[in-house]
Amino acid sequence: MTTAVFRPKILAFLCNWCSYAGADLAGVSRLQYPSTIRAIRTMCSCRVNPQFITKALLMGVDGVLVMGCHPGECHYIEGNMYTRRRVIALKKMLEVLGINPDRVRLEWVSASEGTRFADIAESFTATIRQLGPNPLRGG
Amino acid sequence: MRYGDTVRKIVHTVLEKGMVDEVLAFVPGIDERDVVPAFITDAADAVKITAASYQPYSLASILADYGDKGKKIGLVARSCDARGVIELAKRNQVNRDDIYLIGIECYGTVNPANAKEGEVYIFHDGMEVGGKKEALDESLLSANCRRCGYPIPSMADISCAIDGDGATANTPRGEEILAAANLKSQGSTVDASAIKERAARWQDKDFPDLETDRQERLDYWLRQFDKCIKCYGCRNVCPLCYCKDCALDADRVWVERGRTPPPRLFHLTRLMHIADSCLNCGQCEAVCPMEIPLTRLYHQLHNELRSIFNYEAGINIDDALPLGTFTEEETKAGGVELG
Ligand code: SF4
Ligand code: SF4
Ligand code: SF4
Repeated sequence: MTTAVFRPKILAFLCNWCSYAGADLAGVSRLQYPSTIRAIRTMCSCRVNPQFITKALLMGVDGVLVMGCHPGECHYIEGNMYTRRRVIALKKMLEVLGINPDRVRLEWVSASEGTRFADIAESFTATIRQLGPNPLRGG
Repeated sequence: MRYGDTVRKIVHTVLEKGMVDEVLAFVPGIDERDVVPAFITDAADAVKITAASYQPYSLASILADYGDKGKKIGLVARSCDARGVIELAKRNQVNRDDIYLIGIECYGTVNPANAKEGEVYIFHDGMEVGGKKEALDESLLSANCRRCGYPIPSMADISCAIDGDGATANTPRGEEILAAANLKSQGSTVDASAIKERAARWQDKDFPDLETDRQERLDYWLRQFDKCIKCYGCRNVCPLCYCKDCALDADRVWVERGRTPPPRLFHLTRLMHIADSCLNCGQCEAVCPMEIPLTRLYHQLHNELRSIFNYEAGINIDDALPLGTFTEEETKAGGVELG
């Protein structure tokens, strides 16, 4: 069956100050998390133009994770507040178009949350596996 | 009496008394099914203004592009134009203080291409074609107008009916205008709720149910997008696509030069860019040579976002832009949803 061989490609945008450090901590702590994740570091989660996410989906990525500092902890004070609203709007756009919005997930991960990072990577991979290949693949 | 006498009287007054330097309005074009936008500077020309139910351009867009900066400008506006001005003012594209919004009630417009012979006037309870009263045929109305729940431009400085001499002041400036024209503010004589119901009925009909099959929806829109010949018409006419340096231009990284249909990112980008500001003015859909029902898509998304952000484009100048703001509570909420 396809699900058995389907290895999702997941793109993760990680903010420099919290989430990237969290991912790094997961790495140095030798926590296991799926190799489906490809990371891109951005200075802030609000650097992630919604267009980056749409473009990634159109290029055939099966799921996109956006991670930033917890509310109130953004290095730039309020960047993640805009990220939250934008991702909500973007997910609604996907829904209206007929793309499952669960293919995009926003999460807050701090520099000390290596375990949380690994858990999210695990659960998001499971979600995407269940959703199957991105219907925009090849388009 | 001609339809639109009240608005012509008001325009005459504001020009004659020097309250504004110019007024942007529609005047007749080559025949009775054509209207063209004109900047009127002489009070004697106010008589030329037509209130026929056509809306072939967004006057908000023309005002932003060609209105003289720093001058006081009057705009004879249907709700979609008035809302466009307010939305553009929030986005620093026009100065609301310089604009006198002279609203006219609007119960729908027809695309002249689909119109019957003769001038068309749409009323809340019927229509008039070439001077003859008829029952309202909703199928003649532009699709966006059928979905529009704003027959009365209450966001304009004044709103007035095109038949009769009813006029309402909605702002202190509106009161000034009515006083100058010797008109009493009296509220609309029409009950807007029937039009709001019509709007809800057509929205229901036009918008696919988000609970039903996603794949079907996706296939439909991808098929539509793939008809695109990348003429840029939709972007060019959109009042909210005002960027001088547009992400869709060929020299930017997103949309490669010389490819049609354009990458789907073309459509997804515009959709995301106007998601929080689309007025359902219908211009993008009307201009599209490939008849892609663009406004339906934008309007549905805007409606969905309205229930999340509690924001509707162009209604209240004091409402903050939903993607450029956040609340105190949000800074304390831990989750990734609002509230
Ligand atoms: S996207 Fe279309 S309907 Fe919406 S404001 Fe622009 S031109 Fe009008
Ligand atoms: S598509 Fe986007 S970048 Fe281009 S004019 Fe419209 S809003 Fe501006
Ligand atoms: S108006 Fe229609 S054909 Fe032209 S660019 Fe827009 S969607 Fe494509």
